Amino acid sequence: MAKASGNSTGEFERQLTKVLDQAYGTALRLTGTAADAEDLVQDAALLAHRGFPGFQAGSNFRAWFYRILLNRFYSNYRRQRRAGVSVDLDETPELYLYQQAAASGVTPDSDTATALVDRLDSELVQRALDALPEEFRTVATLYFMQDLPYQEIADMLDVPIGTVRSRLHRARRMLQKALWEVAAERGIVGAP
Amino acid sequence: MTQPTHLNCKDCVDRLGDFVDRELSTEEVAAVERHLEECFGCAREFRFEGAVLESIKVTLRRVQAPASLLEKIRRSLDS
Repeated sequence: MAKASGNSTGEFERQLTKVLDQAYGTALRLTGTAADAEDLVQDAALLAHRGFPGFQAGSNFRAWFYRILLNRFYSNYRRQRRAGVSVDLDETPELYLYQQAAASGVTPDSDTATALVDRLDSELVQRALDALPEEFRTVATLYFMQDLPYQEIADMLDVPIGTVRSRLHRARRMLQKALWEVAAERGIVGAP
Repeated sequence: MTQPTHLNCKDCVDRLGDFVDRELSTEEVAAVERHLEECFGCAREFRFEGAVLESIKVTLRRVQAPASLLEKIRRSLDS
């Protein structure tokens, strides 16, 4: 297969520009601060640019770039989980928020689901995401920040698709529990 | 996962995650949709779950790269 050629830097910038907003958003959710997110994306871009001559033209630039970004995150930007919600996440059942909403007397329909999350701003949703163990937080971040098929997430993380499926399903249940606890802590819903 | 033509509520909820992520086969999607047409409880649970996930996505995605970031990257590539 052909390697990236021609005006390599120009082509690199064209490809990078297409994924930059999403990459920055993902970096922000992973690192937790705008400064670290910028540094992470910039570092990843430099590394990617260096490796771009070896990039297979026509293959998936986004997946390739994200692999570099995630490796850089793991090696240099991995952070302590911020203090805040601590949730026992092991046995969170399916449909946790639905059950909690129903148990608290709320009619659990799509309007109340939207209203509940809308009352939590992105900082509070981020706090709930931060409560997840790292391997679940990473897969959940990739999932929520982009509409990717499991296979593409598996390619980015270099794990089997079955691992993505099981981590993501558990991560979503954990996140629902963490969201409910954040909402309860802020008095948005009844205490757990 | 096996390819049943008729799902009970547990079978259906077991497929909830893959269904909302569009990771089921065409046959399984059809089986889930058939169940949801017949089962008000599951249909409500699926709608709720879908709305929660969509709202989380929308909330977390309210972010844009700073306008200066691309320029910073360009400068670092040139240096």
